[in-house]
Amino acid sequence: MHTLTPKSNRAPVGAVQCENTTLNLLKANDFVAKAIREKLPHVLVINICSSPGSGKTTLLQHTAMHIANSLKMAVLVGDPETERDAIRMREVGINALQIVTGGMCHIEAQMVLQALDHIDLTGVDVLFIENVGNLVCPAAFDLGEDYRVTILACTEGDDKPKKYPRMFLTSELLLVSKADLLPYVPFSIDAVTKDATEVNATIEVLTIASINGQGMQQWCDWLIKKVQQKKQQIATTSML
Amino acid sequence: MHEIALVKNIFTTIEDNFTGKMQQVRGIHVQVGLLSNVQPILLQNAFAAVQATLPNYSAATLQVQVMPILIECTNCNNVSEITKYIFVCNTCNKPCKNIIQGQELRITKVEFEALK
Repeated sequence: MHTLTPKSNRAPVGAVQCENTTLNLLKANDFVAKAIREKLPHVLVINICSSPGSGKTTLLQHTAMHIANSLKMAVLVGDPETERDAIRMREVGINALQIVTGGMCHIEAQMVLQALDHIDLTGVDVLFIENVGNLVCPAAFDLGEDYRVTILACTEGDDKPKKYPRMFLTSELLLVSKADLLPYVPFSIDAVTKDATEVNATIEVLTIASINGQGMQQWCDWLIKKVQQKKQQIATTSML
Repeated sequence: MHEIALVKNIFTTIEDNFTGKMQQVRGIHVQVGLLSNVQPILLQNAFAAVQATLPNYSAATLQVQVMPILIECTNCNNVSEITKYIFVCNTCNKPCKNIIQGQELRITKVEFEALK
């Protein structure tokens, strides 16, 4: 263990009383995340994380077209600035609301809780929270989600899970996107799967290409299965 | 990452828990796990920056303790330190996510100047 010397050399003066504590610095966020879970017992909540430009919004556009007949979805989308993503999603008929974080590098639970007052979730089966494009900071903030899905475009390189371990450690599913470009880039699905499972032995890996539909069926099947599991869970709990 | 926001959380957490004793705060001890994505040197810099705006805390210092990542194997119960983000038990080589240390982001001790 390494203890860093404080930059300041001001020594405490006088006798010193100590209070030993265990105060969690993200307590406020975790408290709100719990409130979100309690508020949405019937909706599957998915936190989508990735770097900027890996295809989060495109995936959700195509997901909506693919599952329109089986699931009703809604999206909260976070960006430091602009309403562009929400507009793109509304263009394909998605019930979407933009969270403008005002420059912040991640979404916090409080932003989601406030946004929930402004989006109609009647009959919605799955709520996606499209996080700010960033593989570091969003990993630390629980948004009250049921599952965290990380997207990694094959153009980003297969070395990312070890470089950004916390994101892959806290995700249940890894989607390798832009698979239509795999023949043109030095990216190995085997290598990324090995890297990701060394960090997180239980992470599932799927390969998708939103624009030509490759892997969309498996991704949508995964979603439908998770929605069913959540509904069964609720049914079982309410019977007890 | 967002060290300034974290430092603000440190001060508000202390104010919530030790209301009225801000001017007596001297040493603030925090533990940051290697998985918390927090850089101690940036935390110290952010502390100095935020402290400059808070006269009540002018005599406070921050002590950062970095916590290595430890897992407790669910198969053989042995504890291993994880150094290269390969979450595997050092004893039985089974993959393991049972993290018992390394995600900390907490205040462990606050020192106050005793009132005369």
